[in-house]
Amino acid sequence: MLSRVAERLYWTGRYIERTENTARLLNAFKTLMLDLPKGVGLSWAQLIDISGGHDDFKARYRSANERNTLAFMLSDRDNPGAIITCLGLARENLRTTRDIAPSEGFESVNELLMFVRRRLASKRPGNHNYEFLSQIVQRCQGITGLLAGTMSQDAAYQFVRVGRNLERADMTTRILDVGSATLIAPDAELERLEHRLWTWLLSALSAHQAYRQSVRRQVSAPVAAGYLLHDTLFPRAVLHTLCEIRACLKQLPRSTSAVRAVGRVERLVRDSDVHEIFPQTFHTFIDDLQVALGDIHASIQRTWFEPAARSD
Amino acid sequence: MYLVVRLRYSQPMRIDWNQYDAGGFYDEMISSPGQPRAAARVLANYLKSLSDQKLARRQRAAELAIEEMGITFTVYSEGENIDRAWPFDIIPRVVALREWRQIEAGLKQRMQALNLFIDDVYNKQRIIRDKVFPKDMLTSSKDYLPQCAGVSPRFGVWAHICGSDLVRDGDGTVYVLEDNLRVPSGVSYMIQNRSVAKRVFPELFRRQAILPVDDYPAALFDMLAALSPRPLDYPEIVVLTPGIYNSAYFEHAYLAQQMGAELVEGGDLVVGSDDCVYMRTIDGLQRVDVIYRRVNDDFIDPEAFREDSALGCPGLLRAWRAGNVALANAPGCGVADDKVVYTYVPDFIRYYLDEEPILPNVPSYRCEDEKQRGHVLANLKDLVVKPANESGGYGMLVGPQSTLKEREKFATLIQRRPRNYIAQPALALSTAPTVVGRHLEARHLDLRPFILSAKDTYVTAGGLTRVALRKGSLVVNSSQGGGSKDTWVVDSGGRS
Repeated sequence: MLSRVAERLYWTGRYIERTENTARLLNAFKTLMLDLPKGVGLSWAQLIDISGGHDDFKARYRSANERNTLAFMLSDRDNPGAIITCLGLARENLRTTRDIAPSEGFESVNELLMFVRRRLASKRPGNHNYEFLSQIVQRCQGITGLLAGTMSQDAAYQFVRVGRNLERADMTTRILDVGSATLIAPDAELERLEHRLWTWLLSALSAHQAYRQSVRRQVSAPVAAGYLLHDTLFPRAVLHTLCEIRACLKQLPRSTSAVRAVGRVERLVRDSDVHEIFPQTFHTFIDDLQVALGDIHASIQRTWFEPAARSD
Repeated sequence: MYLVVRLRYSQPMRIDWNQYDAGGFYDEMISSPGQPRAAARVLANYLKSLSDQKLARRQRAAELAIEEMGITFTVYSEGENIDRAWPFDIIPRVVALREWRQIEAGLKQRMQALNLFIDDVYNKQRIIRDKVFPKDMLTSSKDYLPQCAGVSPRFGVWAHICGSDLVRDGDGTVYVLEDNLRVPSGVSYMIQNRSVAKRVFPELFRRQAILPVDDYPAALFDMLAALSPRPLDYPEIVVLTPGIYNSAYFEHAYLAQQMGAELVEGGDLVVGSDDCVYMRTIDGLQRVDVIYRRVNDDFIDPEAFREDSALGCPGLLRAWRAGNVALANAPGCGVADDKVVYTYVPDFIRYYLDEEPILPNVPSYRCEDEKQRGHVLANLKDLVVKPANESGGYGMLVGPQSTLKEREKFATLIQRRPRNYIAQPALALSTAPTVVGRHLEARHLDLRPFILSAKDTYVTAGGLTRVALRKGSLVVNSSQGGGSKDTWVVDSGGRS
């Protein structure tokens, strides 16, 4: 398979997952804002920080209110993380790999993009409600299911899957970082609301129900963080995504160095004792973890997207 | 949905060939009112048996099939949806086998001479020494690439894939209008048209012997494989496309898929320090033997030609010159695709093959010649003026349909750069019945057969028939409102 095709499929997996994650995050955040008492130190600005768009946002918007934040994360074409941008890129990637990826994949992403565009054009950004964002989540899941159910599980599909799982790991670490941020700068109010905050963090990853079933303890910061890091069964827990990535990479040619990069991250996660690093060094730990995830991406890129060595 | 106008009416009517009026032009189906030509008789009688409602249903079935099969062509536009469904008319164009054999022989002869010419001008230039072809014709051609001089591709063949445009004039003579030697397109539509026609008129394929066309991808593969510089059982063949936004991208993808070849873009290829071409794959760099390139000469190698090209691959020409990769068509073969050079092709046939041309050229005036130019300028109203180096029907003057202002503009252009123009009499292009509204009406058409050359020469059975869907129009290009028909070479036993 051509490197270019592999790269486009990988990014297709990432962009569809990113769209879904962003929509879910916005929904969860809106719910949380409704639940929290006024004057509590959680703000829309934090949401922008999670998405990694801090500098981008500051350059173009004055205040981080709900309306601006939603506009930035939904419909701002200059924001590389905005839903509209991600969907556009996913569509372009699928359009240009139509001979490999199933044509229904392209059609579904195209339809979803049209749907989002129509809705965004019809209402003020602040009006985008639960139902709209839920639909985006559902339709992304539909596309993920479509690819899983119709693509031959060959190298092409492995690249989609690697992209999806790496993106999941990325989002989970970003959300964990919100928990760590509020812990380092303790706000008297917020600390009392720890339980509510971590419940929210779990639900932003659709993990609340699974947590209840497998942990069976009251939600607390270290336990919830431990679950989101160490669980091997929940699809959005970091360790699970790493296992998935490793399994995918092993099916690809010349995977030794990329698999090794995954192994390093796995060890970093397994060796961490949440109770020990909580709360003081948790943020640093998450930072290290994100850098290590970046290494996996770099290794994939080097191995399969920019092959330099000759091997025939 | 852009297709032939849908038929919508309730009262069943039948086609009456006595009512069909070809307007005095040579018609491919009907020889005189009510009289079908021998090879078209089965088709004409069959159509007569269909009510117009049934015909409408067939046309709709064809539209649906085209949609389902995803047959599209791309229009350059800034809009979102750039793919258009392929405009197809269900009534096939019929060619008698006996006549076809003659055309086929003419095309083979012509390709042989053209390849000998190209090989000659890049090597010994005998034809110039022998004063059959003027040297300044070559040096003034923008398609003559000095970078290609001294190369001898395998079998002496430069133009491996050619799509020649044939037209029939009022008296029935078939002329070669032009030879497309650069990156001719349309062959995938020829194949797709056939598969749609089989769905629409299955009974007609049972009732008569129609020559098949779907062996083309296999013939193309064999031809390309024969060019491989390495003696391998499975040479690595790739189709090089400019990408998704090219108007023929559908065809590039289709042919690659049919041949089981990799569809690559310039960025997928890299030329190593060993002057071999490799493609970047997830298994690492993989050696490429043959490139069927659908990128123009200018853009193929930024190292040798246009520096700003992002469509090609640096070093490709170097690898080709070193004999480490085959390029089809070879760079520089456009030199024989110049409309002024075209006027010399009958001379090439006589010079290289010592034969008389089987297929005639359209009589042409070279504006560079003072006497001929005088004639052209005095008769612009009756002539078609063509620039030497354009394709797709762009930049020409159709005298009989032009305004005084346009003619004045072209007179200035011709006087300023005479080498750049030729003129031909406006031909009375033949017609064929085409579904228009509730009737069959006569529309003008041409025919583009495809010729493959390596060790042997292969000609498609028929080719792509392009039809001008607008009444009276002579422009058949799909980018300018043309449609297409399936082409049936029919063995009717008798004479046409």
